Amino acid sequence: MAIANESRQEDRNMREEHHGAGRYWVIWAALLVLTAITYVTGRMHMPTFGLLLALIIATTKGTLVALYFMHLADHRGANRLVFAVSILFVILMLIAPLADVGTRYRGSNPPGSQYSDLQAVDIGANAQQGRYGGQNKPDTSEQSEGH
Amino acid sequence: MQSSVSTAGAAAPVPRLAMHFASLEVQNHAARLGMWLFLATEILLFAGLFVCYGVYRFLFPDAWAASSRSLDLTLGTVNTVVLITSSLTAALAVHYAKEGKNKAVAVQIALTLLMACGFLVIKYFEYSHKFHIGTLPGRYYFYEGIQLPGAPLYFTVYFFSTALHGLHVLIGMAVLTFSMVRALKKADFGPNNYTMVELGSMYWHLVDLVWIFLFPMLYLV
Amino acid sequence: MTPSSSIAAPGATPAHEEHHDHHPSYLVDGTTIRSWLLTVDHKRIGLMFLFWVLLFFLVGGIFALLIRVELLTPGPTIMDAMTYNRTFTLHGLVMIFLFMIPAIPAVFGNFMLPLMLGAKDVAFPRLNLLSLYIYLFGAVLALWGMLNGGLDTGWTFYTPYSAHTTTTVAPVLFGAFIIGFSSIVTGINFIVTCHTMRAPGITWFKMPLFVWALYATSCIQVLATPVIGLLLVLVAVENISGIGMFDPARGGDPMLFQHLFWFYSHPAVYIMVLPAFGVMSEVVAAFSRKNIFGYRAVAYSSLGIAFVGFFAWGHHMFVSGQSTFAAGMFGALTMLVGVFTAIKVFNWVGTVYKGAVDFKTPFAYFCGFLFFTVFGGMTGIALGTVSLDVAWHDTYFVVAHFHFIMVGATIMAFLAALHYWFPKMFGRMYHEGWGLVSAALIILGFNATFIPQFLLGNNGMPRRYYEYPERFQALNVASTAGASLLAFGFIIIAMYLTYALVYGRAAGKNPWRSKGYEWLTESPPPTHNFVGPQPTYPEEPHFYVDPKKAEVPDAV
Repeated sequence: MAIANESRQEDRNMREEHHGAGRYWVIWAALLVLTAITYVTGRMHMPTFGLLLALIIATTKGTLVALYFMHLADHRGANRLVFAVSILFVILMLIAPLADVGTRYRGSNPPGSQYSDLQAVDIGANAQQGRYGGQNKPDTSEQSEGH
Repeated sequence: MQSSVSTAGAAAPVPRLAMHFASLEVQNHAARLGMWLFLATEILLFAGLFVCYGVYRFLFPDAWAASSRSLDLTLGTVNTVVLITSSLTAALAVHYAKEGKNKAVAVQIALTLLMACGFLVIKYFEYSHKFHIGTLPGRYYFYEGIQLPGAPLYFTVYFFSTALHGLHVLIGMAVLTFSMVRALKKADFGPNNYTMVELGSMYWHLVDLVWIFLFPMLYLV
Repeated sequence: MTPSSSIAAPGATPAHEEHHDHHPSYLVDGTTIRSWLLTVDHKRIGLMFLFWVLLFFLVGGIFALLIRVELLTPGPTIMDAMTYNRTFTLHGLVMIFLFMIPAIPAVFGNFMLPLMLGAKDVAFPRLNLLSLYIYLFGAVLALWGMLNGGLDTGWTFYTPYSAHTTTTVAPVLFGAFIIGFSSIVTGINFIVTCHTMRAPGITWFKMPLFVWALYATSCIQVLATPVIGLLLVLVAVENISGIGMFDPARGGDPMLFQHLFWFYSHPAVYIMVLPAFGVMSEVVAAFSRKNIFGYRAVAYSSLGIAFVGFFAWGHHMFVSGQSTFAAGMFGALTMLVGVFTAIKVFNWVGTVYKGAVDFKTPFAYFCGFLFFTVFGGMTGIALGTVSLDVAWHDTYFVVAHFHFIMVGATIMAFLAALHYWFPKMFGRMYHEGWGLVSAALIILGFNATFIPQFLLGNNGMPRRYYEYPERFQALNVASTAGASLLAFGFIIIAMYLTYALVYGRAAGKNPWRSKGYEWLTESPPPTHNFVGPQPTYPEEPHFYVDPKKAEVPDAV
């Protein structure tokens, strides 16, 4: 009976939900407006809040898509739970390696990176392509001033 | 995901009930929940790349900012708009499927596919530009404009994530094509039988969702 | 064949044995090869998985024996160093990806889950069949790669070595990637089945504990497997074309690879061991003839292990250059796994306490399991302590630890499940005496193999080394002797079970008088599991004694 309830509930939600097509157009317009906002603010290259703002806007857009285009607003129970759990795991999975990199002994971060005191080592003729970009070696003094 | 759902050749607008399900409601519920779980795996798949992105952006902020500015923001924005609009038409396709307007379903899906092709064409131009100037992953990098450690790494992440996303666009197109052909040939979508369109469009929205995050991450550092 | 009437009226449906016209069991309902290869019956798919899983277990076991023979003497014994590297890689890959991950979920999970939920099949039967073929395709690809060139990185494929080695990395990695899909499909199938296919009367907290364990396992499979899929593709592409994602010479961070790798591979340990816990919860109740002690605690602790197990992965990287902060954090989270496992262990022991123990073969394996879980788990807690791990890391202590908890517990549960459900699956009984003898041999052999390895590791012998100093030889010989004993035990099992398949006496419907839901139907079950209308399940699972009417007041 639990089974019937769960599926029945789902069915009812999905039936009641049938709105006019207008709702989709409204969401679409909102998404476009948000895209425009990201575009404009992104071009300003705000040093501190830029990433935060971009992520907030992207999350808002993503939420709109998930809730209305993907009908998560009308689902109950397991479907929402699955989505929420997957997002939670994405966030936790991001936090742990970042926490590691941020607090690591500087010597074990990749050479040349912001959190390392080491110069990126020269790895030989052709292989160095792709580390600094071209064949021309960077000026080492300029490198150390980078951070 | 739809393999066990509504594959029957019945002409009636009600999908066949597989023998192991108690009722149609249960069958639809199972299909939808299965699709959500599948989408969860897709989210986690991209999450691996997001972690790579996050860690390397954290380590190489300057290279990231410089490399990001070498991308064509206009093309990226156009692609975002194209993909969002294609998501709208995919959602409308489900809407019409529920109302049993099979012609409209086919039209909306066709529009979606058209925009998907547009997205890929734009992506092709972006890629070929990068192949030309040399902003390529790892050891293939030969762009002289950016001379920072970590810049080739940015393009590794860029190419890998956009290529994976592009692959998902192709898969999504294939899935939607199935629904379109069915709407045209059998024309049996209706209030009781729209799961196939719905699941296909859910997949398409996921492709859109991933791009919504990739766009600011890659183009707007 | 008709869709069952309705489940809307709980309790109104009559008992399930109404018409007694004989329905053929799933084993003989269709005897052509085609009817097996293209079946969508979860029981037949489970049996086919059993066949392949056992085959790969044999392959992995042969490689294990080769390793042990090679380590008999300090110098080269039967193979050169490169072959040795390939052999232990092959052993690890086959045992983990082809045997232990699918062993219990894909075989016994597939077979029992619908029976335990009173369903006619899993939610997506065709996907279920597909998962078998994906598994086989991936296995063929991976094995082909390993035989043509042979990977020598160990099963962990650590970069940068795996990105530079000239052995065939890419085919093996793609093979493992494909096998991952099979695991994901099984996981999705089980979760959806638990949500939508439960029979009337089976509420969430009346699901058998094996189902709870499978549910938790499936959550891990769905959430973790995609990450390793992505990672394997990244490394394969890096190996082929040098995109430099994890190459330190180009700014890449090999530690990031390890983070992503263990994000899957640590929870993968729980993919292997959680179903084992579930099997044991069934076995311990059935053979103690007592209701499971603390049902909810056991069910919740499965979910708890699944969740916490996700955030313990950093304890594989204590000496890899991870930050002290992260190491401390992961070390502390690792301890939490111990808490949830301990909840289970206490509940199993509580179930046996004052039970009427029927010491049959599955219960013998339960005893071995309890020993391996506690011993292996405790050494795991020790290894999760950062300061101790620095000394033990990458020694045989680690090898012995994970063979105890991951392999020992899983093998015990696999064999317990095989014996407990053998009558259910084939309708025949095996010889109980031989069962107990081989159980004793295997438990002793396993200890004899790995206890010397604990000592070796504690003395400082590193893992994966081809040669070792003279002073380690005695313990290595002891370990190899134990491995032979273990192999001997498996040969006995293979013989008497094969014999029982053909000549075993008919088991009857429920030879153990078990109260598990899966025993309510015939043994072996008919094709669609139940004859007649949808059965209902008014009683709790594992219901042997009514607590209110128990003769001994403190018996429950």
